[in-house]
Amino acid sequence: MKIHNLSREDVFLNLVTSENGLSSSEARKRLNEFGPNEIRETSKTPLTVKFLRQFTHLLAVLLWIGAGLSFISEALHPGEGMLNLGLAIVAVIILNAIFTFIQEYRAEKAIEILRQLLPFQVRVIREGREVLIVAREVVPGDVILLSEGLKVPADARIIESANLMANNAPLTGEAEPVPLDSKPFCGELIESRNIAFAGSSIVSGRGCAVVFASGMSSEFGRIARLTSAVETGMSPLQKEIVKITRFIAVMASVMGIVFFMIGRLIGRSFWENFIFTIGLIVANVPEGLLPTVTLALVMGGRRMLKKKVLIKTLASVETLGSVTFICTDKTGTLTLNNMDLRQIAYGDRVFAADQIRSSRAEALFTTAYLCNNACHTDGRYIGDPTEVAILRASREFLGSRDSKRVFEIPFDSERKRMTTVNLVDGRTKAFTKGAAESIIPLCTHILLDGKSVPLEGERLDRIAETCRGLMDSGLRVLAFSYRDLGLAPPVDVHPKQIESGMVFAGLIGLEDPPRPEVREAVARCHGAGIKIAMITGDASRTAVAIAREIGLLKGEPEVIEGRDLATMSDRQLADRISGKEIIFARMTPKHKMRVVSVLQEMGERVAVTGDGVNDAPALKKADIGIAMGIAGTDVAKEAADMILLDDNFATIVNAIEEGRTVFENIRKFITYIFAHGTPEAIPYILFALIRIPLPLTVMQILAIDLGTETIPALALGVEPPESDVMKRPPRPRDKGLINSAVLIRGYLFLGFISTAGVLTAYFHVLLAGGWYWGMALPADAPLARQASTATFLSIVLMQIGTALACRTMTQSVAGRGLLSNSLMLWGILTEVLLSIFIIYHPWANRLFSTAPLGISVWLIMVPFMLLVIVADETRKYLYRGKVANKD
Amino acid sequence: MGIMYKKILAAVNEHVNAEVAARYAMHLAKATGARIYLCYVAEKGIPDEAFRHAEESVKRLFHRAREMEVDAESVVATGSPAAEIKKLVLSEGIDLVFTATRHEDVNKRFYEGTTARRLSLSLPCSVALVRVVHLGRIHPGKLLVPLKARMCHISEWSYFTAMLARSFGSSVHLLHLTRPASTFFHGELHMSTSEWEKKIPHDISGFIHRLDHYGITHEKKLHPGRTGRNIMIEAAVKRHDLIIMGASERGLLRSLIRGNPVEEVLKETPCNLIILKLRHEDT
Repeated sequence: MKIHNLSREDVFLNLVTSENGLSSSEARKRLNEFGPNEIRETSKTPLTVKFLRQFTHLLAVLLWIGAGLSFISEALHPGEGMLNLGLAIVAVIILNAIFTFIQEYRAEKAIEILRQLLPFQVRVIREGREVLIVAREVVPGDVILLSEGLKVPADARIIESANLMANNAPLTGEAEPVPLDSKPFCGELIESRNIAFAGSSIVSGRGCAVVFASGMSSEFGRIARLTSAVETGMSPLQKEIVKITRFIAVMASVMGIVFFMIGRLIGRSFWENFIFTIGLIVANVPEGLLPTVTLALVMGGRRMLKKKVLIKTLASVETLGSVTFICTDKTGTLTLNNMDLRQIAYGDRVFAADQIRSSRAEALFTTAYLCNNACHTDGRYIGDPTEVAILRASREFLGSRDSKRVFEIPFDSERKRMTTVNLVDGRTKAFTKGAAESIIPLCTHILLDGKSVPLEGERLDRIAETCRGLMDSGLRVLAFSYRDLGLAPPVDVHPKQIESGMVFAGLIGLEDPPRPEVREAVARCHGAGIKIAMITGDASRTAVAIAREIGLLKGEPEVIEGRDLATMSDRQLADRISGKEIIFARMTPKHKMRVVSVLQEMGERVAVTGDGVNDAPALKKADIGIAMGIAGTDVAKEAADMILLDDNFATIVNAIEEGRTVFENIRKFITYIFAHGTPEAIPYILFALIRIPLPLTVMQILAIDLGTETIPALALGVEPPESDVMKRPPRPRDKGLINSAVLIRGYLFLGFISTAGVLTAYFHVLLAGGWYWGMALPADAPLARQASTATFLSIVLMQIGTALACRTMTQSVAGRGLLSNSLMLWGILTEVLLSIFIIYHPWANRLFSTAPLGISVWLIMVPFMLLVIVADETRKYLYRGKVANKD
Repeated sequence: MGIMYKKILAAVNEHVNAEVAARYAMHLAKATGARIYLCYVAEKGIPDEAFRHAEESVKRLFHRAREMEVDAESVVATGSPAAEIKKLVLSEGIDLVFTATRHEDVNKRFYEGTTARRLSLSLPCSVALVRVVHLGRIHPGKLLVPLKARMCHISEWSYFTAMLARSFGSSVHLLHLTRPASTFFHGELHMSTSEWEKKIPHDISGFIHRLDHYGITHEKKLHPGRTGRNIMIEAAVKRHDLIIMGASERGLLRSLIRGNPVEEVLKETPCNLIILKLRHEDT
């Protein structure tokens, strides 16, 4: 038993109030009991805390330790440059924190916009007198007064109504106003006609109601709570980055400790080992990874904007690529939302809409014309697309029609029909239109050859059959009926009396054509292993027919209607939708979040479209919430991760392709970044083990990681998609950014070739400078500086070869064309110029402990650069051969 | 299963939420055949209007109890509510006390203390602390019962839930909340519902078994993640009418460090809430 089931007296009794309202003291007391009537943000982690967390994850902690050790080292052994290193590491931590925070940041304004949908002031009855109070002070038990134009401040049970009509669009998504009365209602509270819901607005009439739920306890508060409280959690990319950082942190720590101990065993001093350990950790940590990932996402977001997708959360760029399931609205997204009359049935025949000439269609078109809320003004039709299509066709058939509307029983989604009572040619007539299953039971007669004959038996079957036929052609079918009420208008409006004994006038089949590009987009989704579920308010037959037309269905789908969904448990729903083609018909937005939750529990990564206020929770819950840019409400746009600027399904698919490309590209530049880890670490290890001069300083490592290789890495982030990117299934949840293939290719394959080149250059400089095995060489000796500079330069040059090789994963890089990625050319040019500056400029020589080199080092490295590309091309060739044989 | 409520006390005062809490108590008394004590303790210096409201409330409840054919007794006393109720509990051998908490009390529960909190801590019997946020859901049709791996007083908790569900004809939805499965290098792991179900802890199985014993049909769901937040989301998404959860066993310090899901739900519950501080030991 709930408030909407009760009689007026029981409402007062249960809410402990009366028609005179509450006393001021009781209202104050209740304000303390229930709290203010306001929409609040669910308590969340403050932004500052979120930002500070970026300084405490494992990789950051490791770097803090490195920085701390550097500062201690500087304090104990001044003048060895450890202060610079410590500061550089702190700068890296701050830089990484900023970039990671940018990825996660999103402005949350949905609650702010929801607040604006509630009124500021409201008229209530307190102690028997009408008073104007601030809406925030409305409490359960308050009697509120409702009249045209007012917004409802809280959920309230109607106790008096006079032609009261409310627009519940924020809650139900239905733009049509609903009539409200005070009679007890047996059904769900949310569907009750005796409840005025917070956030809805009174369209006409007046009445009064008793508040039973305020603030966050109201239905509107429920939407706000879900919009605010639902957290999608970390995006797949963020999870991957956590995994990578943990892997690297552990690897760097273990290597640091192991080689520290080896150094001690072979007799190196503590401080030598200490510096070496810090260097090894810094060499292993890819300092430029997080900034590069963030910048790649920014650039991905910009490319998506060109494709009419506005990304709100940076991490969503990649999340799109991992989507396995799209729940999409039909009208306006898969279809054009351009309603057009296609077929018309009257008498016992069906006609194409453009072939209607007979005067026998007059009754049908008169009903369609008069029972219509669209209007024709200044040569333009204004109104809902379905209403406009019907009015246009009726006008074309009948011309202008004079009539006075006496009153209207508006459309509502429960009754699935609307009725108008009009004065036509001196007589009062009722005209009704709506879903066939709602209209046919009201009719006792049918118009056949201009005569009204009883509607029964075979005639009923024929109408039902005609209706099914129209729906199976993908048409939205509306039925029409009328009744002559006599000369005088009815005194009292009782829908049951007016809508009975009607004459069936006919059926109209409207088509909302699919968007032309949708069929191909659906096929691309299927090719990419992405499942699609259509969620529509249409009848199931119409939905299935449209789905077939756009290629969404191959076999017999599982059709789930909204009313079935309400009675199913999550387990039953999961069983019904598991592994099948699904259509959700006769659905309302309130069902969406549940569908999304169940799909996510089944392991799917879900994208969902939405436009209404009550779509907001589902948009927040989904891995990717997609709001409609044209038809969407501000609340939906705020709650979503991305906005479709053209409301087009095909654009979602283009965005997914971009998302997958971004993921592939991030993997490419991770391979590229990993590839330099080996040539940075191995010379260090040799320095520790076989007592060669220090091959690379920590500052030089930072110059590579944060300087020279950043733009080529970014250039890999903008590589165009490989041709098979939408022909592969979505990556499984357990398949991350780094896998054994990436590690082997980066660290071992490309890494060891690079190391070979680097060591060649290093020893070439040393030996040419007169060094011999076992000769002690101070770190600041000119030859030692030249040798470390040669290591630096050779790593830079090998990275150029690696960057070019990494442009593709499996396809030949030769097919790409050198000019197809201009940023790569700029990146390489910048890398070379920066290296020249670091090697040949005295200021940079001091900062990075470098020394100018001769041309010979440059020339030695060219064959190694080419070797990287050729070796990787061979690997790709062998891989393609293996895949071809497998197929 | 051993548990029986023979005497239930509902603490009534001038506030409407106490009356709603007493209605729950009355339905439970009806289902268990218990006698209900409608107890109002007037504090010294209480305004006349408040006294009148409380008295009217007791009268209304008493009248309703007679309509429902529940054996009821009204008790009006003066003094400190916590002390007087404790006296009554001891003298009458009360099994369960229903008391309500208000919006203004929620924030000071831990730090300043409220009558409701004092009652739940000091009474020797079980206490049902009721938070009323929605007056429209008069008979709760859907009960949400969040469960955790290690639970105490399973017999009494399941008995309370079953009897309340029986009295209102409600459906029971069990929500097992747990930490997400994760490994150090792989992070969070996704597990299917059937995989999770294989890991249902013994205590929860015991709770389910007892509900089955009472013939209460139920639906269960497992949700990894933040406990308090997920209870609120589940209750809001499925439009549950009443949450029944166990009292927190976390102390102030642990709550400050690790948070307190019960306090979190108490603060932001989307529907009415009963927090149970139970005393009957499991047999």
